[in-house]
Amino acid sequence: MTACPFGTRRTRRWIPWLSISVPALGWLVFVLYPSAATVYYSLTQYSGVPGAPVDYCGLCNYRMAFTSVSGPTWEALKVTLVYAAGVTVLQIVFGLGLAMLLNRRGRMFSLYRALVFMPQIFSVTIVGALFSLILDPITGPAEKILHGLFGASSAFLGDSNISLLLIILINVWMFTGYTMLIYIAGLRRIPRELYEAAALDGCGWWSRFRRITWPMLAASTTVNVFLTAMGCLGEYALIILLTDGQFGTQTIGMYMFQQAFGQQSQLGYGSMLAMLQFAMTLVIGGVVLWALRRREVQL
Amino acid sequence: MRRSARDRLLRALGVHSLSFVISAGLFALPIVYLALQAFKSYPEFLQNPTGLPSSWTFANFTSAWTEGDFGPELINSLVYALIPDVVTLLLGVFLAFPISRGYFRFSNVLYAFFVFSGFLPAGLIPLFVEARALHLYNNMVGYLVLTSFAGAGFFFFVGYIKSIPREIDEAAALEGCGYFRFITRIIIPQMRPALAAFAVFGFVASWNNLILPLVMLSNQSLWPVTRGLYGFMSQYTTQWPLIAAGTVIVAIPVLILFGLLQRHLVEGVAGGAVAGAQPVTQGPPSTTDAA
Repeated sequence: MTACPFGTRRTRRWIPWLSISVPALGWLVFVLYPSAATVYYSLTQYSGVPGAPVDYCGLCNYRMAFTSVSGPTWEALKVTLVYAAGVTVLQIVFGLGLAMLLNRRGRMFSLYRALVFMPQIFSVTIVGALFSLILDPITGPAEKILHGLFGASSAFLGDSNISLLLIILINVWMFTGYTMLIYIAGLRRIPRELYEAAALDGCGWWSRFRRITWPMLAASTTVNVFLTAMGCLGEYALIILLTDGQFGTQTIGMYMFQQAFGQQSQLGYGSMLAMLQFAMTLVIGGVVLWALRRREVQL
Repeated sequence: MRRSARDRLLRALGVHSLSFVISAGLFALPIVYLALQAFKSYPEFLQNPTGLPSSWTFANFTSAWTEGDFGPELINSLVYALIPDVVTLLLGVFLAFPISRGYFRFSNVLYAFFVFSGFLPAGLIPLFVEARALHLYNNMVGYLVLTSFAGAGFFFFVGYIKSIPREIDEAAALEGCGYFRFITRIIIPQMRPALAAFAVFGFVASWNNLILPLVMLSNQSLWPVTRGLYGFMSQYTTQWPLIAAGTVIVAIPVLILFGLLQRHLVEGVAGGAVAGAQPVTQGPPSTTDAA
């Protein structure tokens, strides 16, 4: 602890407290309290209707969620896992591929990087409108291409077999640019001498990648996997726009939003779902971080 | 020797065309395609949904503009993005400085506390109940209050302030410089690069937020443009030229901002300048962003 040098002898003791008072109070009221209250709400049947009782009911929501193994909550947990795993794997593959392709000097390459990054700055509403248009089963170009090439047709986002995959791909389209940039930052930190030495030893493209690039990017991979997986576990804004949780795309976040702010207004059940999402984030985040850190040390 | 020179040229050409095809074809073309649809009349779109417009019309833009109320909504968006952005950064500095300098007995504990609270359960549902109880629900000032305490960048600031030498504090204090003046005149200018990066990311995140306006604002006159476009889409379900025009109107301000700041954003992240910064919308869940 160091003393604050500012102010007179009398004021310097409370100046630091004054400094943090407003942001800390705001934090308590609008961040910490809502988080803590979620735990309590998840133990109630609160409907959120003004004047209605909070109705404490213990673990009733948790019991209801897990009584049947085929219930919507289990389904949502599975969908969330597939969604998060799919986006993370694809985004790492495409992000790394694009980073290695576009990490070159020249004005054109800086334009290419900007184009790949661009979808990131659009609101989910814009991206949702864009892909609803492209994947429209009657007037969309995806339909025309599919029909022209294979004579087939599809309901796209309305087809339960592929809608989750499509949403995964749209998510990857939107955020690959960020993954790419983190990888580019990593690539720029790899010393050139390593590649020169490898070239002298006659290493081919693949062994250079496997022995130098991939291990040297371990820290960037940790950041990318962690950020992408954590982001996906809580993401549902894009799903609201594209399918509204129908056709096998009900993630846990989407289910929570629908329960709490849809027609039912089940704030208690919704809070329980928020708790499940939190537990999932905690477990997966912890495991991912632990595994990747260990890997970083080994490589 | 000659052969290898030719090989290298071919290789460079291949890399260039592959890069062009991917970045232009996969990332730019969908947006251009959407924009093209906005110039078709609805009958023409039904006849020829995927081709180029044969007679270009601006009618969709004018009717989208008047029917979608995008003018007032753009102003709302600007207010919702700018004010919380400035307030959050300012409060973030005042929170980070004393903790970073270790003025409290438990500075490290406080620091850990604020960092870990970013990983708590999403509090969207209690926040909604709280907002209604405090009369912050469905009004502009209330929405600004709710969004101004997200604490963006706080823990990045703590690290950044540590890199500003302490000797400046003592010299300034000896000269009789007050605490508030020291932070606003010395510390904030020193933090300009970090603040600029977080200002841009924070602005874009608030501008793009859909969930919070969906939950907190029910009057159409209060909607930001993201919420407005969502309503517009549900209202005109399959009238794609009109929706495309609305989308273009909403996208243009963001595209202009991106065009101006593209270098800083892209090279900033690629250069590792904001390595700790969250991506624009993905990231660890926090009450207001991930909600």
